[in-house]
Amino acid sequence: MQQSMKPSEKLEQVEIKVKVRRFNQERGQYWQEYKLVVDRFTQMTEVLRRIKSEQDPTLAYRASCHMAVCGSCAMKLNNEPRLACKTLALDLVRKYNTNEIVVEPMDFFKVEKDLIVDMEDFYSRMYKVKPRLYPAKEVVENKAEQRLTPEDQKELWKFAQCIWCGLCVSSCPAVRIDKEFLGPAAHAKGYRFLADPRDTLYEERLKVLIDSSWRCTYCYQCFNVCPRDVEPVTTIKKTRAHTKFLKQKSEVAETGEKHVKAIFESIRNTGKLEEAKVYLTTYGLVTSIRDMLYTMRNGKTQLALIKEKKVNEIGQIQKLMGEKE
Amino acid sequence: MKVAYYPGCATHGLSKDVDVATKKVAEVLGLELVEVEDWNCCGGGFLDEYDEKAHVSLNLRNLSKVEKMGLSKMATPCSVCLQSHRLAVNNYKENTELKKEVDSRLKSASIEYKGTVDAEHIVWVLVRDVGVEKIKSHVTRPLSQLKVATYYGCQMLRPEKIMGFESPYNTHSLEDLVSSTGATPVRFPMATACCGFPLMGSNPKGGLKLAYNVLNSAKSMGADIMIHPCSLCHLQLDVTQYKVMDEFKTNWTMPTMYVTQLLAIAFGISPKELGLSKIAMKALEQRGIT
Repeated sequence: MQQSMKPSEKLEQVEIKVKVRRFNQERGQYWQEYKLVVDRFTQMTEVLRRIKSEQDPTLAYRASCHMAVCGSCAMKLNNEPRLACKTLALDLVRKYNTNEIVVEPMDFFKVEKDLIVDMEDFYSRMYKVKPRLYPAKEVVENKAEQRLTPEDQKELWKFAQCIWCGLCVSSCPAVRIDKEFLGPAAHAKGYRFLADPRDTLYEERLKVLIDSSWRCTYCYQCFNVCPRDVEPVTTIKKTRAHTKFLKQKSEVAETGEKHVKAIFESIRNTGKLEEAKVYLTTYGLVTSIRDMLYTMRNGKTQLALIKEKKVNEIGQIQKLMGEKE
Repeated sequence: MKVAYYPGCATHGLSKDVDVATKKVAEVLGLELVEVEDWNCCGGGFLDEYDEKAHVSLNLRNLSKVEKMGLSKMATPCSVCLQSHRLAVNNYKENTELKKEVDSRLKSASIEYKGTVDAEHIVWVLVRDVGVEKIKSHVTRPLSQLKVATYYGCQMLRPEKIMGFESPYNTHSLEDLVSSTGATPVRFPMATACCGFPLMGSNPKGGLKLAYNVLNSAKSMGADIMIHPCSLCHLQLDVTQYKVMDEFKTNWTMPTMYVTQLLAIAFGISPKELGLSKIAMKALEQRGIT
C-alpha cells in the first residue's frame, strides 16, 4: 500500500553546488559548477541526470541500473571512490559538512570524456584470469552432474559478487607501480574459480595467480572501496596459501613464501617476531648485511641488536597455533 | 587514566624509539600505560594468510589478558598491530565456523575471551580521551617554526567499517595533534597511500617505490618533516631513507618521525634522548631544535 506523507513531514530541501571535473579532447581538463536542490532521496546518479537533462546536455557520464548492480556509475565523490547510484547527495553534505560536492572520474584509468573512463585495461586484467567456470567434459556433455555443496558455496559466494565497476583497481597503489600485478578485482574473480571444486583449470589458474598475489601490498584500499563488500584483499591472502602447490615459482613468490614461513616459525618458537632472524631467513646474509649498513648510516644500529624476550607461556602459543599436546 | 599498552614486536625491536617516545608522552600527560603481561605477536598482517585460526586465536589471547587486567581498551602505537587485532575480533564475531574452531583452540590453551575489549590506536586515545587542549597545555617548546606533513598510511584507517575512528577521506587526528604543538600541519596528496612496507617481504623494489612516492609527495608540498602513526611505517620511511635515496638516485631526504616523537619534542624532551634518526635530528637542528 502506498503511504502518503503528512503535511508536517515535509521533505528537507537543500541546495547543493556540484563541482565537476570535466575533460574533452578539444578543451582538455576544466572544472564546471552546477546548482540544484536535492532531498533525502536524491541519489548522485539522479543529480547527474537532472544536470544533464535540465542544465547541460553536454555532460557525459555512465549510469545504468541505479541499484548497485551494473557498476557503470563508478566515480570519485568528494575524493571517495564510490558508485554514484549508491550514494545519496545529502549523506555527502552531512558527512563533509558542506553543500559542495566534488565529482571526478575514477583515478588510474584514461579519461575519455568528463566522467567516462576507458575500461579496457580493467577488462584485460579480468580476462587474464579466465573469468568463467570450466567444468569437466562429462558435465558439459550432460553425462554427469556436479553439485556445489553449501559449504563450498559459502566460501565462494562473497567473492562472486563483483560487478566489474573498477573502483578497487582505480584506488590500488600496486597496479600503478607494477605491471605484473593483476589487480584486486581480477584476483577476486580468479580465486572465486580457483576455489571452486567444479572447475578443471586449477594448475593453469595457479600459474596465472600466484606470482601476482605476492605483488599486493595489503593496503586495504580494495576492501574499503568495494561497493559489494567483496574483499579482494582477502582472496589474495587465500590465494597465497596455495603457493605451496605450485612447483615452479617466481622469485617474488619464493621470497614471499619464505618470509611468511619465517614469521610463522618465529612466532611458534618464541611467540614474538624476531625481526633480524626473519630478515636473514628471507633474504640471506649478503642482503641483510647491506641493509644493516643503511640502518647504521641513519644511526639506528643499536636498535637492530635488541633481542626481545620470548613469551613465557610458549606452550599456550603453540596450542593456539594448532599443535596438539 | 589507565590503559592497557600493547607495544608489538617492532616497537620493542627496530622501532624501539617509538616505544620510548610514547611512554614519555604518556607520562607527561598522566596517561598510565600498563603493558599487557606476556603479550604475543599479532601476526603482523601475514599470519592470517598462513593460518587464519592461529591468527585470530593469538590476537584474542592478548585481548583476554587485558580483560583479566580489568581494563576496557588496549592501545597500541602500531597501525599493523591495531588492524591485526581489530580484524581478528571482527572475523571472530562474524564467522561462526571460524569462531567454533577458535573457541576450541582457546579452550585447549585455557584462555577465555569475553569480547569486552578491542584494540585502539594510541593516536585515538590521545585525541579523544586525553584531548587536544590538555596536550596543548603541556607544550613547553612550541614548534611554530616547523611545517609537518601528516602521513596516515593504511591500517589505522582501513577498512573504515572495522577501524571506525575517522574516515580515510576526511582525516583529522594527526592534524589535531600537530596543531597542538604549535607546528603547521601540511596535507599532501599521498597522505593515506601505502608506504610499501608489506611488500618488502616479497617484492622489495615495489615496496621502495611506494615509499619514495610518499616521501616525494610530502617533500613537494614543502614540509620540513613528516610524522606517521605506525612502527612498521617507521621502518619503511625513517630507517630506510638512504636506501630510497640510492635506489631512486635522489639528493634529498624527507625527515620522518613517529607522532609521539613530535609531541615529546614539544614537551621539551631532546631529540637525542628520544633516539631519533640522524636525518630527523639534523633537520630539527637546522631549525634550532636540539
